[in-house]
Amino acid sequence: MKHSRLMLGAALVAATFGLGAATTPVQAQDGKKFKIYLSLSYSGNAWQSEAANIVKALAATPPYNEMVELTEVISGTDPQGQISAYESMIEAGADGIVSFPISSTALNRTIRRGCDAGVLFFMYDATVTQPCVYNISYITSGFGENTAQALVNELGGKGKIFLSRGVPGNSVDKRHTDGALSVFQKYPGIEVAAEYYSYWDDRTTQQETAKALVAHPDVDGIWAQAGEYGAIQALLDKGGKLVPMTGENSNGFRLALADPAMQEKGLRGVSAGSPPAQSGYAFKLMMEILTKKRTLEPSNIEYPLPWVPADSVKVCEGETFENGCNAFPDGVVPSSFVTEVLDPVLLPELSIQSALNGTPVEGATIQPLPEEVKIGANEPGINCQDCEPPADLYRLTKIEPTVQP
Amino acid sequence: MTPQTEMLDKFAAERDTRKARRFDRHTVSAVVVFALCVLLILASRLVSPSLGSFQQVLTVMTLASFLVVLSFGQGLVILTGGLDLSLPALITLGGVLTTTWIGNGPGAWYLLPAVLAVCGGVGLATAIGIVWLKVPPFIMTMATSIIVASAALGLTNGTPRGASPEILLLLMKGSYLGVPAPVYFLVVFAVAGWIVQSRTVLGRYLYALGTNREAAQIAGVPVTLVSILPYVVSAVCAGFVGMMLVGYANGATLRMGDNYLLPSIAAVVIGGSSILGGSGNFAGTVGGAILLTTVGTVIAAIGLEQGLRTIIEGAIILVALLLLREELFERLRGLSAKVKSAG
Amino acid sequence: MTGPAISRPYRMARFQPRKLLASGAGVVFVLYVVLYAIYAALQPSALSSGTFTNLVNNSVPLAIAAAGETLVVLSRGFDLSVAGVISLTNVVMAVYPQQGPGGAVLSLLLCLAIGGAVGIVNGWLVAVLRLQAIAATLATMIVCQGLALLILDAPGGMVADWVSYELTDRLFGVVPVSGLFALAVALAWLFFKRTNLGIGLYAVGADEQAAALSGIPVRRVRFAAFVGAGMIYGLAGFMLSAQTATGNPNAGTPFLMLAFAAVALGGTSLSGGRGGLIGSILGAATLMLLQKVLFSGGVSSFYTGIFQGVVLVVAIVFGSAFASLTGRRTAA
Repeated sequence: MKHSRLMLGAALVAATFGLGAATTPVQAQDGKKFKIYLSLSYSGNAWQSEAANIVKALAATPPYNEMVELTEVISGTDPQGQISAYESMIEAGADGIVSFPISSTALNRTIRRGCDAGVLFFMYDATVTQPCVYNISYITSGFGENTAQALVNELGGKGKIFLSRGVPGNSVDKRHTDGALSVFQKYPGIEVAAEYYSYWDDRTTQQETAKALVAHPDVDGIWAQAGEYGAIQALLDKGGKLVPMTGENSNGFRLALADPAMQEKGLRGVSAGSPPAQSGYAFKLMMEILTKKRTLEPSNIEYPLPWVPADSVKVCEGETFENGCNAFPDGVVPSSFVTEVLDPVLLPELSIQSALNGTPVEGATIQPLPEEVKIGANEPGINCQDCEPPADLYRLTKIEPTVQP
Repeated sequence: MTPQTEMLDKFAAERDTRKARRFDRHTVSAVVVFALCVLLILASRLVSPSLGSFQQVLTVMTLASFLVVLSFGQGLVILTGGLDLSLPALITLGGVLTTTWIGNGPGAWYLLPAVLAVCGGVGLATAIGIVWLKVPPFIMTMATSIIVASAALGLTNGTPRGASPEILLLLMKGSYLGVPAPVYFLVVFAVAGWIVQSRTVLGRYLYALGTNREAAQIAGVPVTLVSILPYVVSAVCAGFVGMMLVGYANGATLRMGDNYLLPSIAAVVIGGSSILGGSGNFAGTVGGAILLTTVGTVIAAIGLEQGLRTIIEGAIILVALLLLREELFERLRGLSAKVKSAG
Repeated sequence: MTGPAISRPYRMARFQPRKLLASGAGVVFVLYVVLYAIYAALQPSALSSGTFTNLVNNSVPLAIAAAGETLVVLSRGFDLSVAGVISLTNVVMAVYPQQGPGGAVLSLLLCLAIGGAVGIVNGWLVAVLRLQAIAATLATMIVCQGLALLILDAPGGMVADWVSYELTDRLFGVVPVSGLFALAVALAWLFFKRTNLGIGLYAVGADEQAAALSGIPVRRVRFAAFVGAGMIYGLAGFMLSAQTATGNPNAGTPFLMLAFAAVALGGTSLSGGRGGLIGSILGAATLMLLQKVLFSGGVSSFYTGIFQGVVLVVAIVFGSAFASLTGRRTAA
């Protein structure tokens, strides 16, 4: 009995290393290839995997497929894990690291060491406060305040609203919510009836909205971060009317905004939010710098905020964003699919398959990015430390108030 | 009074009253938990006028149905002295397989059981590791969790696709006589689960195993089989919860099970079961699940900042635990005995 | 009648290599060495002191947290409040930094005090009020998380420079300072193990009734275990703050599962009565090293999870198989 367990243990070990050998990717012999690492922390939702997939697709598109050796590393929600991963990448001689950082501050020391060793760091969507890094993010474009104003406009300046937030203790959630509250607080007629954390997940949004609806069935509008389609489901479950909503850019939400039956029930609003396309933009920018096609100092670069009001939703016929379309038909992608993963100007080499599977598009080649990059505002704790935010931090860029407080 | 009659009196007072003890500790604790739920719902009217209503009860029970099913499996595992940490991963597996293999296509009636069978298979593998390789349940289920989560990630390439099968939508979204379908399901499941745990031979075997393994073996309980079964059942329950979530939200994601692990353990413990195994009943666990969901509903309605809300949530759980202590029952029983003997 | 024979430590002072190897700590130490050898083979720079320091800095918070957890596990309990204490001490360090070496000592005492206070609450709930450990510490963990959110509602703050620079640095250019803290915990344990309280800990975990009948003050031992564990978690939060240099109200959450994995990997039985802190410290180091080995081995990211799970199981199987081969009782 004792010996059989030992034998089984030995067999398991052998199998493990056999499996390891089988899955080890071929190491590039050609020393001239750029060693690029794609470092994810959190994984396992549509947004994260779409963002990772388009980077993989771009790295496999000519001419980058000959020039780049891309390795994906998922380190989990533990900052120590990502610190360890960064250190391993630096030791392995990385040329560039494209990453979704799990913490805006905890990784700074390791990143500093990497910068000193000549590694380029490109962070997408989430940002870090280390100055030697390129932060590519929409976070400075004012998602919170713009969507809040849109909701206020829809409600005519008064009503009860819900705030569906993200993860407690997270700086992105805080920035969005602070921006939104700066607008809501200007209007005495607007009352925040309930505020809950939906963890950027459809299911959790549905459950939390359902709980809030029990206490406040007479809600007039919902301001939501990611997972907004769950709020619509909660309203449908309850029965009765829908309300104006602003949210991010899940396919389910966009189709709902454009659906006449839902509009009949009272659904209006705007779809904005975080575009997974940021990762592709970051990767292309990094490659242009590495291949000396562009010079750019480490800076905070702003990715434009997607802005699709209900009457601008257009369903795509094909596999790419062509002719101004910005949503996909039901059944082609699940309702939790994040639509802003393609961009006809910045990422014309991609299609929906790239986002779903990470495969490059047949016959596509890498197109140059537009010359201009927009520099984002300083936001202490988000993309810089020891800095001051501009006085007009919560200035509206996408919409004008139609109602005065 | 002679010394003999004094002694007779004394013995008379110490009669064997076991049968007379109609309410054993666990029944009382289950009742207390349900009473706390009702109290909390009524008290929540202070927070908002729309609360404290029948609608709130229905919503709470709908939302609690996931936790109730999950806690049944977790409760069986805890009953035999183990702990199952792989439930979130199995919820995800059940949900992901449902949307990926079935979607809203045909064949749901035989594919849904197939998905459950796959989950059960994973549970079986876990159980074999625990029973045969003697890996502690904590570690084995943690390892299973990591492996299954990785597999699901690889299988779906990060984005689970597909919608919910029709039958699940009927189960989770339907409403009959003004009461949502999940509420009916919860009641039926609660009764069935209680019967299986407390009134069948298999249930007795589980209690025996959890109380004293050696004694159970000597008494003829098929120890190996009974050790393996709870893990299979909990895996199937978790897979089913995944299906319920798919029906509820019409889709699956790779993290859908994450927030259910600690509540599943809390529901079992608050319901009066001992974490060391061998005691507790499912009625208490159902009460614990509903209490936790009620607390969540009430907290959500309080307009305080998140830090304070979290503290209140922890405090309520603590209060519930304090009210359900073993010693409190002993004292109450002592009190009632004194009252009886005085009257 | 003489009192219980626990005034004389039963562990012999002689060095017994076979027994050492058979103990949980021995097995995990061997595992660690093997993994490090593989790591060095794949990555030549692994043997440099800079890389080793990074590895130690990364592993020390988890190692110390696992050490604290072991105290409670040995007495047959579960302490979930490790996550709460670490989050709380981390945000306190970041929001109320104390400058200079004197400030560092002050911060350290503050962290120990916070951890100790939580430990006292836990001890009171579990040892005195006889609540179940897993449930009571779950509640205290939630309360601590809430407190952390109240102090700092989003990642930020700044840990004092002296702490974050000196404590991640190397002494004489070779010895990582953070490693010395872990060593201090290990040495304190070796001393504590031989005291009445330490032996009582094992006895209570192995068989509470027998311990009570032998005259061991069970409630006091349990209480002490929770308080000691709490203070050690405070130290872990202190070291974590030194490493990340900032505060995060959710800093402690990943430690929950990892701490238990480290404890089990280190050979401590989760039903109490057997094992030790040293094993847990090494178990934590092994877990962190595993990540590096998998990375260097080019294991694709999807399979990382599968590997970690399998290695965990294999290590436990080997550990208990070894233990039974060398004549000790098999794991429960």
